[in-house]
Amino acid sequence: MSLLDRFRDRVGSGSATSGDPLVDDLRAVLSPDRVKTDGAQRSLLGKDASVFDGGSAGPICYPISTNEVVDIMQVAQRHDRAVVPRGAGTGLAGGAIPLGAPIVVAVTKMRSIGEIDEANGVAWVEPGVINLDLTRHLTPLGYHFAPDPSSQQVCTIGGNVANNSGGPHCLAYGVTNSHVAAIEIVTPSGDVVMLGGLDPEPDGYDLRGIFIGSEGTLGIATKVAVRLTKNRPAVRTLLLSFASVRDAANTVSDVIAAGIVPAAMEVMDQRITEAVENYVGAGYPTNAAAVLLAEVDGPEEGIDIDADRIAEIGRANNATMVRVAADNTERALLWKGRKTAFGAVAQIAPDYYLHDTVVPRSALADVLDEIYAIADRHDLLIMNVFHAGDGNLHPLIVFDGRDEGVLERVHAAGGEIIEASLAAGGVLSGEHGIGVEKQKYMDRLFSDADLDHQNRLRRAFDPVCRANPGKILPMGHSCADIQQLRSVPTGVWG
Amino acid sequence: MDLHLDADDLNMCVQCGLCLPHCPTFRVTGDEAMSPRGRIHLMREVQDNNAPLTTEVLESFETCVQCRGCEPACPSNVPYGHLMEQTRETLAEHGEITPRWQRLALAPLSNPSMLQAGSSALAVAQRLKLVPKRLGISAELPIRRKPLQASGNDVYLFTGCVMDAWQRDVHRAGMRVIEAAGFGVTPTNDLAPCCGALHAHAGLSDTTRGLAETMMAALESDRPILVDSAGCGAAMKDYGHLLGTSEAQAFSERVFDIGEWLALNMDDLPRVAPLDLVVAVQDPCHLRHVQKVHESTRTVLRPYVRELVELDDDGLCCGAGGAYSVLEPELAGQIRERKVEAINRQRPDAVASANPGCSMHLAAAGVPTIHPMELIDQALQQA
Repeated sequence: MSLLDRFRDRVGSGSATSGDPLVDDLRAVLSPDRVKTDGAQRSLLGKDASVFDGGSAGPICYPISTNEVVDIMQVAQRHDRAVVPRGAGTGLAGGAIPLGAPIVVAVTKMRSIGEIDEANGVAWVEPGVINLDLTRHLTPLGYHFAPDPSSQQVCTIGGNVANNSGGPHCLAYGVTNSHVAAIEIVTPSGDVVMLGGLDPEPDGYDLRGIFIGSEGTLGIATKVAVRLTKNRPAVRTLLLSFASVRDAANTVSDVIAAGIVPAAMEVMDQRITEAVENYVGAGYPTNAAAVLLAEVDGPEEGIDIDADRIAEIGRANNATMVRVAADNTERALLWKGRKTAFGAVAQIAPDYYLHDTVVPRSALADVLDEIYAIADRHDLLIMNVFHAGDGNLHPLIVFDGRDEGVLERVHAAGGEIIEASLAAGGVLSGEHGIGVEKQKYMDRLFSDADLDHQNRLRRAFDPVCRANPGKILPMGHSCADIQQLRSVPTGVWG
Repeated sequence: MDLHLDADDLNMCVQCGLCLPHCPTFRVTGDEAMSPRGRIHLMREVQDNNAPLTTEVLESFETCVQCRGCEPACPSNVPYGHLMEQTRETLAEHGEITPRWQRLALAPLSNPSMLQAGSSALAVAQRLKLVPKRLGISAELPIRRKPLQASGNDVYLFTGCVMDAWQRDVHRAGMRVIEAAGFGVTPTNDLAPCCGALHAHAGLSDTTRGLAETMMAALESDRPILVDSAGCGAAMKDYGHLLGTSEAQAFSERVFDIGEWLALNMDDLPRVAPLDLVVAVQDPCHLRHVQKVHESTRTVLRPYVRELVELDDDGLCCGAGGAYSVLEPELAGQIRERKVEAINRQRPDAVASANPGCSMHLAAAGVPTIHPMELIDQALQQA
């Protein structure tokens, strides 16, 4: 690009009007530099961490206050455009993918941690606050935010609320829904509403519970009262290895059956363990068919009893090795390995498709066998890394998208994995949400009447489907025609 | 445009996003285009889909500090630093980035007499209050510099370009410490004027390769080469990759950060009463993320100060980035604010930084910075 072109470009982007009334109106309510329209920027926000593309962002807004979000909603209304909220873009089900060139509202500049209300046991935070930043901020006070998704070092509280996120330690502590007391939201019509409250048992309908996990289809969270969880007095982290994935799965189900409630129980199979160990060097055994990471916490006096019992149950299930993390450094390294597992797969192949079904713990071993068999049938490489304690499977298909026809096989295998999980009495999603990924399976889980009522609830918040259209509810039960959304309105972004 | 990026290197990124919080520009902007994942996506768009090089795309590449904090955060080991250097090299070749004035400004670095003269002129201008604040030079630059004298042939101390002109006292302190451990030091002075790190950052790889070859020829021996500037050390350890020859690889293996080398020879250093200071360690990115020898700073410093404290920001960049603080002053300032907050949370008496760029950038914000070698030297002198 010549200097002159660059000069023109700069002058052009700094001029008073963009030629698009929608963009002009957005720039009038936010500062112009917080409304991006460049093609490159929009292509970046057309994707999240999932394999789904086909997204197409319209103008991208970076609000810094609730009032600005209200303003954006009002502009969207005037121009009859959809609005899609976005946090860190680490979703794995395509929930943040913009369909039909909507206004994308990136909350990453709304990241202040406000009042810490110890009396009520909550902290008020903005939606763009990073999950791990919040926990670190609370640590000196003796608290943390309990949901700890693997992406916790990057994912936002807003995204956690939208997806009702879980994490390894949600086995004992519960998922996001149990850790949010109240949410201030901006509705699709531009009203500011407080859902839930700080009373232990708020009166009226639990709209807070409805909003959590709604994947941006009911509005945009602008402030969240997260519950403070006391830090654990003592922790023991055990690493067990097994000669078969089945033995690891059976250990998990026996531990729960024995009445122990560990803080976390995570399983990784050999292939993923090798990739992880290559990155963190935490001392994971790379020759074991599966490893189980189990953690117990509580008062110092009692936890060794639980730790010993887990070790015993492991040995009864043919554990080939049992190790207790010697100190915090070793524990942190083991967890770092587990939590970066998905990102480590590019060591093996450049693309992955991560599933998220949940099956009854007693069916874990059988469903895992079936999953490996499905991968073999489709000639695909599959790895398993999962929240074993609550039966949340994360089969991970790794592939190279450049190979002819591989994506069809990946999707076919994915479909069979979901069918196998449902057949075993499981559900579609543990924590990643439905997004655009699992819509088509919703009718396997819900009756027409179920879906119809979900759609009516959604319409009560959002009569014209302005908020994140084309997500969660399958076609025929949602108010927007997804196919139409996939094409950009003519004349808008040529 | 073909950016000449290796397709397999580009494909290493699975877009998981774990790098985002470790990127200083994403941290302060919240903007995907200012993140490693976003920049890699744009590299793909430009190289594979022929996306136009708009102002926004170029800005995304130009605003990268090249701190490489994203590399240790990446579980798939994406070689981001090399991808960004190659991108900049191609863009500079096509005249898209690094305009002529920037190339001219880098020229004196490889010419010691020109640099020393320029630096003295700048020092005079500084006393006349003619130096714009934007340049971020807070410490008083020396007008005259006493030459460094060799004390033996055990090791080289690489003295470099800007650092030798502005912070020769750090070299002096480093030499005294190494000598106290019983080793003779040869300062490289005019033998090897510049490592080429800033040129590599700017995409001027041919110049960097030329400087690397000059240095290798000048310092031919098997003596270890100690470097007290983390940025220079990282560049010199990369000569093997840059030139792709076994000689360059062998040269790179002789390069040590001065703290790294001293940590291996700590037993020879006299133990004296520690300085009565609480010192926070600020890890220069190219020591922590690239050379990965930042622990040695702690090993060598711990016996010589009352208390060492750690910052709680995961080694996030301070925004100095070689010439970055001059080229992108606004972003560099915002990034520095985060660092200053992290420092203030620990309330140290002094901040030890093993890189001249970081220490000057932080000093310009009022942070009391000092090179770890100066602290050890002070403790030894005090005894």
